[in-house]
Amino acid sequence: MTNSRYLALLILLFTGSERLAIADEAGRKDAWPQIIASQDLSEDDYIGEVPKVLTVSRLSQSLADAPSAVTVIDRKIIRAAGIVDLPEIFRLVPGFYVGTNAGFFHNTNHVVSYHGMSTAYAGSMQVLINGRSVYNPLYGGVQWSELPVAVADIERIEITRGPNAASYGANSFFGVINIITQDPSDVVSNSVIATHGDGRNEAFYRHAGKLNDLSYRFTAGYRDDKGIDNRSDFKRTRLLNAQADYRVNDKNNLEFEFGIVDGNREEGIIELDPTIFLPRTKDIANHYELVRWRHNVSDDSDFSLQAYHSFDSSDDVVTTADLRPLLAGLLQPKLTFKNNIEMQRFDIEAQHNFSISPSLRGVWGGSVRRDTTYAPFELGTNKTDSFDLQRLFGHAEWRPFERIVLNAGAMLEHNDFTGTDASPRASINFKLNPNHTIRLGVSSALRTPNYVEEKFNARLVIPTILPTSYLVQFFADEGNVNSERIVSREIGYLGNFGKVSLDARIFNDDIRDYIRTKKRNNFVTPPGLLLVGGRPNGGENSGDIAVNGFETQAKWAIAKNTQLLFNYAYVNIDANEDDTVRNITKSMPRNTISALLTHRFNPQWDASLAYYQTSKVAALGDGNPVDLARRTDVRLARQFNSGTWQGEVSAVVENLFNDHNQEFADYNTLKRRTRINLRLDF
Amino acid sequence: MLSNTYKNKQFVKVLAFLALMLGFFVPILAHAYTGITIVISAPTPANTEFIEDFKEELISGKNTNLHVKIIELQEAEKLVVAENSELVIALGVKALEASSKLKHTTPVLGVFTPLPTFNSLLLASRRDLGTFSAIVLDQPYSRQMSLIRAVLPNIKNLGILLGSTSSQYSEHLKDVGEKSTLNILQENISQEADLIPKLQKVLGSTDALMAIPDPLIYNRETAQPILLTSYRHQKPVFGYSQSYVRAGALASVYSSTKQLAKQAADIAVKSQQAPGLLPPPQTPKYFSVMVNYQVARSLNIQLTDEDSLYKKVLELEAAQ
Repeated sequence: MTNSRYLALLILLFTGSERLAIADEAGRKDAWPQIIASQDLSEDDYIGEVPKVLTVSRLSQSLADAPSAVTVIDRKIIRAAGIVDLPEIFRLVPGFYVGTNAGFFHNTNHVVSYHGMSTAYAGSMQVLINGRSVYNPLYGGVQWSELPVAVADIERIEITRGPNAASYGANSFFGVINIITQDPSDVVSNSVIATHGDGRNEAFYRHAGKLNDLSYRFTAGYRDDKGIDNRSDFKRTRLLNAQADYRVNDKNNLEFEFGIVDGNREEGIIELDPTIFLPRTKDIANHYELVRWRHNVSDDSDFSLQAYHSFDSSDDVVTTADLRPLLAGLLQPKLTFKNNIEMQRFDIEAQHNFSISPSLRGVWGGSVRRDTTYAPFELGTNKTDSFDLQRLFGHAEWRPFERIVLNAGAMLEHNDFTGTDASPRASINFKLNPNHTIRLGVSSALRTPNYVEEKFNARLVIPTILPTSYLVQFFADEGNVNSERIVSREIGYLGNFGKVSLDARIFNDDIRDYIRTKKRNNFVTPPGLLLVGGRPNGGENSGDIAVNGFETQAKWAIAKNTQLLFNYAYVNIDANEDDTVRNITKSMPRNTISALLTHRFNPQWDASLAYYQTSKVAALGDGNPVDLARRTDVRLARQFNSGTWQGEVSAVVENLFNDHNQEFADYNTLKRRTRINLRLDF
Repeated sequence: MLSNTYKNKQFVKVLAFLALMLGFFVPILAHAYTGITIVISAPTPANTEFIEDFKEELISGKNTNLHVKIIELQEAEKLVVAENSELVIALGVKALEASSKLKHTTPVLGVFTPLPTFNSLLLASRRDLGTFSAIVLDQPYSRQMSLIRAVLPNIKNLGILLGSTSSQYSEHLKDVGEKSTLNILQENISQEADLIPKLQKVLGSTDALMAIPDPLIYNRETAQPILLTSYRHQKPVFGYSQSYVRAGALASVYSSTKQLAKQAADIAVKSQQAPGLLPPPQTPKYFSVMVNYQVARSLNIQLTDEDSLYKKVLELEAAQ
């Protein structure tokens, strides 16, 4: 070797020796690969402050800590059930009674009620969309087909089984349904959804996007529903809704919602009302706007303020049949009158969530609401009626020990119909171990009478050739009805047995001052009028009711790609007034069973099978006795994935075995229906 | 003539050998220092705390012969260090960058430095590892995964989002994951618009999300969408800082300023007593566990106290 070569070797060895030493270190476990990196990271990225995101108001209670039985229906279940009408999904909640095509006077609509005891207008459930009440004060209940929300918009539905006035206000009498829509940032950029089937056509387009700190989504579409055979129940609606989330800064968020629906719907059954409210079509329209501000006050405290306005109208021109065969001396053979309704709701609610210590947190707040109702036919006056409501509520969750959770809350409400009242609630959860929880709870709630029960004065004055006119008086409320009160006691159990999770509940509900509309025998016909068509109905308190029963929901992960959801409810109703007994005790099926079996064959194909069984029931109001009904639905879906777009084609057969069941009343016969659905995401 | 050439060759060989030996010792001769200069970019609370803790560590270790000097970059116009007699400890990236420009024989130890940034500075300054090292802020992946296994004993699938800075560690993560018996699902994010869709994809097929530092993915602005989306999917996020846990991540391993100061003091003392090279860049040795119990409660995840979790993490780390 030459000198220079030695020198080179020296230098190499010299510097190489360090490398050797390092290589040794690198050979040790978990040393770092020495690779070139891009710049950009500073210590701020590691130890700098990050704003608190999961603040006290965003962290919901886990089911094991919750004060009542809660059922959560998520997107997967909604998809597997193959439903096209939102209210159909409640057949998969134990203890629920769902009746399709319920009613014929005023509307034909799904009735959804927990534990039955309902006319076509289930007034004892609170129904909310993102915390906004969509309960209709005029007849009570919810106009499901006219809600400004598409099934595809829904992220999940939380159903509280049992009174929850302390959190959701009065009229959370039997329970609460809270429909939560997808967060705009969770929505695919573009989506087209279409359905075609027996009597049913619908199509929707959904779009979501993000502009800096604003994320938004809108949905537009239409629904055509021809309804079932032998019924005037056609519905057509067009809807547009939008939702936006704006992150003002680390501590402030603004949320906006908007929705508009218009369309028309048919109503009437000529066999049951051949005289006045003949089958006809009425026009409907509604819209709402909502804004919500969330403010993170400190590490332990959150504040939110929500305000919304909704407007609801229906235009109806009624032309009676030729009345001459029934009444003598008429000025005109037929009578034409308008039955227009306009309702508005203004609501502001403030809420403060706070955490006093790691084991004690709470929420309190208040709201003010005004409902205005213009319904000259129903209320018997051209004046717009106002109904004001003020609420103050509070709830606390305390964990004195790791395994015990205490929940207590109350609501104080004042309203124009019944004055001031309080609805308290308390429960205790024993978490025996991470897999088993026992819950004992007692809860009280009030149901304020709705307009039908308190202020209806619906009548027709039919002029004659004489000074005296005929009077048909449908309703004549005296306006002195007390609120119904429910005290519900329950023992609940939540268990996790590896592949099976179980939710079970035994309950005992006492209802006092149950409100019924009954013939008013003390009605006095005003002078100058001749009463025809019988005495009017009026709301009155008629006795006490006891509801007892057992409900359970089980989820079984049978295999990696197979799941079973199973529900069973046993509900028994007793009443103490003979009159009420005849009506109420049969208004909820004694036994309801539902099940949903889902199986995924491979990444493209999946199928589900649903089974619903409802024992005989006689719904109130427009309902009448129907027999035990069984229904089996099957769904098969094929998914497509091409990188830039994804799609799904599915077929649903509802009532696979074509059991001609009657539901809600004998004027509804349900037959087999098939549908094809298409979804494209891009 | 022949014997002369032979003797020359022998002589050169011996010289080479001596030079070689000397080569090993040059670092020693050049780096025996008598004091420590801590370079900071500004007197932030973290920096001030570190200085206090560091001094305390030296005192409690009875190493009072090492005097400590502080230089604040904001005030000093140029970084002047009594080279050859000082160990420079640079707190933070800016300080480390300035210190990297010092004479190459001055030993520099970076603290509060991310590993990718340290590597960039190492290359850019053309320094040698013997005089340029760091206690990086990145906790070892095996430790993070041990924490995840301690918190969720039944976990099978773990999701990780990688950006342009962190994607280089993809293979390494997979290896560590295998050793920890976890199935790692990775998604690469190249632009901000991909973040939420890919996050949702990962959340759909995994039991939890492990955060690896990357400026595109984990920053102040993305904290809200990431934590909210993960929460909506009911999947916990394991962060890499106390701050992220306070924000809503379920748990994290982290090293406090005191712990980093202790490690820095250890290095300072060892390097002085046993003259040689600075140890290679290392991950934090001492760490703690932080948990967000409110989030744990909401996700119905049962957790013991932080101390028990810490011991469990140590156990799992040792078992690997």
